[in-house]
Amino acid sequence: MSLSDFTDLRLADLDRDGALREAADNLERTSRAGFFAAAAGGMAAAVALGRPQAAGAALAKSDVAILNYALTLEYLQDAFYTEAQRKGALSGAAARLARVVGAVERAHVKALRDTLGKQAVKRPFFDFRGVTEAPERFTRTAVAFEDLGTAAYKGQAHRIKSPQVLAAAVAIHSVEARHAAWIRYIAGVLPAVEPFDEPKSAKETLQLVRTTRFVVGRPRTRSRRRPRFTG
Amino acid sequence: MTRRGRRLSLLSAAVAAVAAGVSLVALAAGGGRGSVAPVAGAGPAAGGPTLAPPAEPALDVPQPEPLRTSRFDSTWAAVKSAAPVRAAARTGAEIISRLGPRTPEGTTNIVLALDRVEDAEGSLWIKVRVPALPENVAGWVPRWALGGYGVVRTRLVVDLSDRRLTLFRSGEAVFRAPVGIGTAQFPTPTGDFYVRNKLSRYRNAFYGPLAFGTSARSTTLTDWPAGGFVGIHGTNQPGLIPGRVSHGCVRLRNEAIVRLARLLPIGTPLRVRA
Repeated sequence: MSLSDFTDLRLADLDRDGALREAADNLERTSRAGFFAAAAGGMAAAVALGRPQAAGAALAKSDVAILNYALTLEYLQDAFYTEAQRKGALSGAAARLARVVGAVERAHVKALRDTLGKQAVKRPFFDFRGVTEAPERFTRTAVAFEDLGTAAYKGQAHRIKSPQVLAAAVAIHSVEARHAAWIRYIAGVLPAVEPFDEPKSAKETLQLVRTTRFVVGRPRTRSRRRPRFTG
Repeated sequence: MTRRGRRLSLLSAAVAAVAAGVSLVALAAGGGRGSVAPVAGAGPAAGGPTLAPPAEPALDVPQPEPLRTSRFDSTWAAVKSAAPVRAAARTGAEIISRLGPRTPEGTTNIVLALDRVEDAEGSLWIKVRVPALPENVAGWVPRWALGGYGVVRTRLVVDLSDRRLTLFRSGEAVFRAPVGIGTAQFPTPTGDFYVRNKLSRYRNAFYGPLAFGTSARSTTLTDWPAGGFVGIHGTNQPGLIPGRVSHGCVRLRNEAIVRLARLLPIGTPLRVRA
């Protein structure tokens, strides 16, 4: 199943805040940087993070990029379930799922933001275009989101340098997989029929997210124009 | 090999695989915390491989917390496409106003989202408060005309009789200031409106350093440029505040409007009461 099966998608690049582009660029840049650093025989590009119990309190730039990539996807899920809960259009099992999974996704966002500190990417602005207000569309999109999240975490596992970051990613990954099974059950889709789950690259993942047009530019509500109010 | 022979061979392979699996499970269970007792001959003590304990995750994931909603929450939405505002949530209902995606100040137009309903065809309609005359206009627009939602927990009240502005956050007053309001000839309109943009760094001392645009419109200056919208702004005549001194706008002393700007998010509902 893919997002395009469930949402009325068009291939439009409405990533005006550049959040998706930024996540993709960071991953791409650190892939190249990681290669050259390894070739030079060192991890010179290590940066300190706020969590002292993390290994050496330092993480490679590529791990920071991967955490920011994960944060971007968690922002998306957090906003999706939170808006669904606020709108109150869901009922029964779907409403319960939105409530429970939304709380978990918010916890993921908080954990990633706390760990990344000032290096955390900004929260994008989302326009779910009514999907959070229509139970059928919500359920189908949630299936696609959770499948995507699970595949995205898997796609980065081999690139993670720090065992502590890998442990965290795997811990979140299995939770996303449980969410995927849960929402599939609600949607009437068999949770586990494939013997092997394929990972998704960051490029594939972000392209899929981009095609939803759920990530949009933040409304421009400030201006330097001279007021023409009545005075 | 005979069919019976092949069956026996497959069965043997299956038994061996299950046995190997059981050994692995037992080995893993022996290494875990609070696990069952290790199977004899399968654990590290018997000379098997020693597995390192799991790495400590780099993230402290907090306990999930329920969404904190409040009766003070208000939702606003960006206007994405021009659309008629209808008196009822159905195509063909009377058009009571029209929405465009931009304000006269060039910012994204926003509306307060008050309610939602799905029509017989399954289309979503959102009830919105709109910047139109007469005051307090609310009507229905199709969901496709709107963009993403924002949520605020603030509320602004302008009390004309007290000549005072109060900002509430989650129901608690967090800011108060005296204000200048409209004269008897050009009164500040009363009713329910909202704050829709913030202007700054313009060069016009009359409006002070900052101005907020609202959805309120003057009922007397209807031919004023850009539609006669009422703003909340600073002033170059602070001595006139508080008082009935404006053409309908709400004027604050400059230090007050600067402080208010730090606290007031766009999309905040505004109530002007007599």
